[in-house]
Amino acid sequence: MRLHPLYLLLGAVALAGCATAPAPLEQMRLSDQAVDQARAIGATEDTAEFKLAVDKMAQARANVADQAYKQARLNAEQAELDARLAEAKVLTQKSQDQLTLANTRIDRLRKQLQEAK
Amino acid sequence: MNRFFLHRMLALAASAALGGCAASVAPTGVLQQAEQHYQAAHADADVQRLAPKDIARAEDSLQRARRLAGYWGSGDDALHYAYLSERYTEIARQHTSLALNQERLAKLDLDRQRLQLALRESQLASVRQQDQWVEDQIMSLTTTDADRGVVLTLGDVLFDSGDAELQPSANRTLLKLVQYLQANPARVIRIEGYTDNTGEQAFNLDLSKDRAQAVADMLVDLGIDEKRIDVHGYGDQYPVEANASERGRALNRRVEIVFSDRLGTLGPARD
Repeated sequence: MRLHPLYLLLGAVALAGCATAPAPLEQMRLSDQAVDQARAIGATEDTAEFKLAVDKMAQARANVADQAYKQARLNAEQAELDARLAEAKVLTQKSQDQLTLANTRIDRLRKQLQEAK
Repeated sequence: MNRFFLHRMLALAASAALGGCAASVAPTGVLQQAEQHYQAAHADADVQRLAPKDIARAEDSLQRARRLAGYWGSGDDALHYAYLSERYTEIARQHTSLALNQERLAKLDLDRQRLQLALRESQLASVRQQDQWVEDQIMSLTTTDADRGVVLTLGDVLFDSGDAELQPSANRTLLKLVQYLQANPARVIRIEGYTDNTGEQAFNLDLSKDRAQAVADMLVDLGIDEKRIDVHGYGDQYPVEANASERGRALNRRVEIVFSDRLGTLGPARD
């Protein structure tokens, strides 16, 4: 029996795409770092994006254990950006709070100045 | 097994293998949404100015998603990059808000400094006003003597006869004097004690010195540097009235405070 070479090629591509991707160690490290950094800034699992990041990293680790490396990379890549977004949101919220505080201070100063006049 | 059947089987197997790790249908809805969000952020001048890297990455991921959506069997990868693009767009938005807030904060900080300065100035102005009021009060109690300059006379109600202890009624005037001296830190004073002519001269001389010193001590207690205070006793010399009447003697029992000029120069002391 002779197989058409196209099927051999397709089979090889399919295998290469799914099974033989290397373990995404560098990406996992990057993503862990992003999660740690977001946590250090003050992100908690109350932030939806941060919870997503933590969950996806757990998933990525399970994928690595199952040698599902491509899925691990996808999860880790998404987790990295989820964590970065969570961090950005926390920082923006903090700056928003600072802004409110600064406005309150200025209002108070304005009032004092008016009374002083 | 005929050849045709084998071919069909293999074709199925190949597509199943690909399908196992990637959907074959391009997720156009998700992609369109990522595209829309990216375009909206891209058109925002603040995003361009404040988060150019993030928005460039959103574009990069979106292009990959578009490319992959065109390939048969890469649907999941397209979805993945569409997701990353959405995230980069959101991150760009957040970084832009953060930077805008920081710009506002910097501006508010300048406002705050300006207001604080204005407030401090207005407080200073009110202190100056009060100092002026005290100065007016003190000056209304003084006379200007041609030889000695500005002289404040503290009458005998400050002391009982023959006594150098200050009466509590002295406090009000002396407090004002302290305020005046604090507001005019270059000025120095000479405190001169005088008595009536009752009693012996030596005793009166000591008594006059003690009275002047009692006033000086009080000023020092209230925070005036003693280096600014010169103390003299003149006994019954230089009466302001004849000692013949009780009223005259009362006026002669006194302490006088001679002020220096603005630069701290006192006129010469009496002999």
